[in-house]
Amino acid sequence: MFVIPGEWLAADEAAGIDLTVNDQALRFDAPPRRTLADALRDNGFTGVRVGCEQGSCGTCTVLVDDQPVRSCLVLAVQAEDSSVETVEGLAGEAELHALQRAFHEHGALQCGFCTPGFLMLAAGLLRGDPKASPERVREVLAANLCRCTGGLPILRAVLAAQRELLEEETR
Amino acid sequence: MTRLIGASVERSANLPHLTGASRFVADIQRDGQVHARIVRSPVAHARILGIDTGEAEAVPGVIAVITAADLPDVRIPIRLAMAETPMANRFLQPPLARDVVRYVGEPLAVVVATDPYLAEDAAELVDVDLEELDVVANLGSGAPVVHQEAGGNVVVTVPLRSGDVDAAFAKADVVVRDRLRVHRHTAVPMETRGLVAEVDQNSGRLTLWGAAKVKHFTRQALSDMLGIGRDRIRLVEGNVGGGFGVRGEPYPEDFLIAFLALRLGRPVKWVEDRAEHFVATNHAREQEHELEIAATADGRLLAFRDLARCDQGAYVRSQGILPALLPALHLAGPYRWEAFSIESTGVITNRTPVGTYRGPGMTEATFVRERMLDRLAAELGLDPAEIRRRNLIPPDALPFTFAPAPGSADAPTTYESGDFPACLDHLLARAGYEDLCRLRDSRRAAGECVGIGLATYTEVGSMGPFEEARIVPTTNGRFVVHVGVASLGQGVETVLAQIAAEALAVPMEAVSIDHRDTDALANGFGAFASRSTTLAGNAIVLAAQDLRRRAAERLGVDPADVEFSSGRAMAESGAPVALHELGEGYGRFDKPHPSFSFGAALSFVSVDRGTGRVRVLRHLVLHDVGRAVNPELLRGQLAGAAAQGIGGTLLEELCYDEQGQPQSTTFADYRMPTVEDLPEIEVIIAEYPTPANPLGVKGGGESGMVATPAAIANAVADALGGAKVTALPLTAERVLDLLRGEDDHTWRNSRS
Repeated sequence: MFVIPGEWLAADEAAGIDLTVNDQALRFDAPPRRTLADALRDNGFTGVRVGCEQGSCGTCTVLVDDQPVRSCLVLAVQAEDSSVETVEGLAGEAELHALQRAFHEHGALQCGFCTPGFLMLAAGLLRGDPKASPERVREVLAANLCRCTGGLPILRAVLAAQRELLEEETR
Repeated sequence: MTRLIGASVERSANLPHLTGASRFVADIQRDGQVHARIVRSPVAHARILGIDTGEAEAVPGVIAVITAADLPDVRIPIRLAMAETPMANRFLQPPLARDVVRYVGEPLAVVVATDPYLAEDAAELVDVDLEELDVVANLGSGAPVVHQEAGGNVVVTVPLRSGDVDAAFAKADVVVRDRLRVHRHTAVPMETRGLVAEVDQNSGRLTLWGAAKVKHFTRQALSDMLGIGRDRIRLVEGNVGGGFGVRGEPYPEDFLIAFLALRLGRPVKWVEDRAEHFVATNHAREQEHELEIAATADGRLLAFRDLARCDQGAYVRSQGILPALLPALHLAGPYRWEAFSIESTGVITNRTPVGTYRGPGMTEATFVRERMLDRLAAELGLDPAEIRRRNLIPPDALPFTFAPAPGSADAPTTYESGDFPACLDHLLARAGYEDLCRLRDSRRAAGECVGIGLATYTEVGSMGPFEEARIVPTTNGRFVVHVGVASLGQGVETVLAQIAAEALAVPMEAVSIDHRDTDALANGFGAFASRSTTLAGNAIVLAAQDLRRRAAERLGVDPADVEFSSGRAMAESGAPVALHELGEGYGRFDKPHPSFSFGAALSFVSVDRGTGRVRVLRHLVLHDVGRAVNPELLRGQLAGAAAQGIGGTLLEELCYDEQGQPQSTTFADYRMPTVEDLPEIEVIIAEYPTPANPLGVKGGGESGMVATPAAIANAVADALGGAKVTALPLTAERVLDLLRGEDDHTWRNSRS
């Protein structure tokens, strides 16, 4: 999509950005240089955590049009017209998502700072590739860092949630 | 009543983390808040000729720019008496550099603006005129003097001696000696540090959010440095994204953000970015040892001598001389020595200051000693397990103390409880040691490069001086338990709730643990040295007893017959009393001496001969925790610590060049382990209760770390068939050097 630039915006002049966050249509007013991570946090989605601002640690992972994205490496203006999903939208009305329950049951979190990023990374994987092999799950989870658990309990949790989701589907 | 202590109760803190509702310091928003950005030194050592803040101040949105000239002449104090000496106090850090900068990343000025992006822009406009000086870039270079007023670069020399070393060496059939090195690496929690400070305009009280670990000490330090009463300062701990020793100590920023809030009369917020974190938050571990061990021909350990040089970085921070003291306390380990002599020297370099990281000193000492024990075993033709078995202090010798020799520093190393040989045998049995050795041999015969490594350790923990607890019954029949320790994400609130609920004989749901606010409790020493469960747990038991006693007096019964239920205290006789009429229960648990615990690790590794990459195929850690309050959470701590240990051994290093420029300031350069780098950690919990506290518990939060680097290094050495593994980390590059028979090139950048 080509956008014909009108007047240039100053670095700190707000741009109106229309997007959907967790199925809710929203308009963010964010300067063009503001990252999506910061803009989401400014608008109350503080489950988006900023761990490195360098695209390395994955704590800021959200889904943009179903794909896991490091929101510190995306400008908010780039998310115009996109559908963004954050950890705040993961649970259903009545109960937690299978991934959230599995994280709890498998000791997959301690300090909790990296947890939303891992949940969204795994949610994106299982949505796009529900039958991903254990090797593939492991490979994808290696994209994010967890300093407390090392990540093995997270792998166990994601594999357990995957089993549960597949069973639900076949029922 | 079901027993709660010993049960794997689920963590109480998880739900908000899973839904994104938990609040970390960056999530704190105060009306009218402004944002601080620290201007940091770009060079390792320089005289400050001038700082021009004019251009930065002229930027629209910039509210203030401060330099050292705006501050009182204060220093960040040392926290623990055992870590403080008059000499060490000469190397303390000012919140902003005065006259000289001494490491890359040292704060020089602070810019405050209405927006964090603006503050960062303006910080680049602060013009600092620096005249560069020669740099002390590693442990070996003694010159130039970094702190002129101190007269030299030696912070401390800790002498620790026991027995007659010369006589013991004279009896030796064999002596092994070498130089060993542990590299600079550190905790790197996923959440960087951050602070929000606000002054209440009516009361004049200062609130600081973002506190962790040692809130009460930081309050005292701020009170002293800011010159305001500590009753005017409140520190609040929200959710904390990991600490592992480095977070929550008083840092320059704690003073600066509080100072700015007082000066500007507006809430001030600062969130460290990751690149800052790598130069601003404490580093750890770097040290070199010259160790020689004397033994008899049948493998009996006689004595050792160790000369250690431990990096303190550019300043002595709040942890004082611990970087030099803690390795000394752990070199003897769990073995029966006739004599030893240690001189551990803390030295200044032009690099980020050094503090404690999970398993501090003990991890380095264990690597050094256990690596040399394997060398000794090889020399004597003994199995590594056998040489350890022959020398571990037997259970009937406990409690055991190394008697200090004349000239020794005072070191309260008493091993109170345990069965070291039985624990080692337990670990070997769980590993299937003999089968594992056969597996190694057959894989080797098939051409693979594999090895097994073993290490044991002692670990100081449960450090005093004391903790208090207040149990406050509420009008709705619940109990709020105030403690002075801290949660860094380890689950301590769950563990303490278990202890409180069991002591009160009430359900877990009736108890909430409050560790978040310095206003709630007069004193508190915090979360370090694996002390929270021991110190706060026992204080809670005493507070529960106090509450019981109050109820028993009202009811006219024996305290043991009191029951707390449905918002009331009751007994077989006497009219029930509403809980909130009882007043509160108070307990204080004093711990004049720390407790030592025992543990061991075993690692099975493979080495890729083409790339040098080490893979940990199996890794077991055993730890004697005295008594496990929550075995599942403890397993999580032990496995998590071991995972960090694997990272620190194989991947992570904070490198510097010869000008003292840090080379590892991103996660791309500082490689932390992921699921792809780690095996499933096999955890074994041993429980030999200590008589030193009523609950019988010892520490466990750091323990999975302590022997992990040593075990992996021994396994790599075993795989390489006698190659000289004397230095960490064992990155692929360094292992390739070893495979080629070259001296590990670690040493090229070191003292030679």
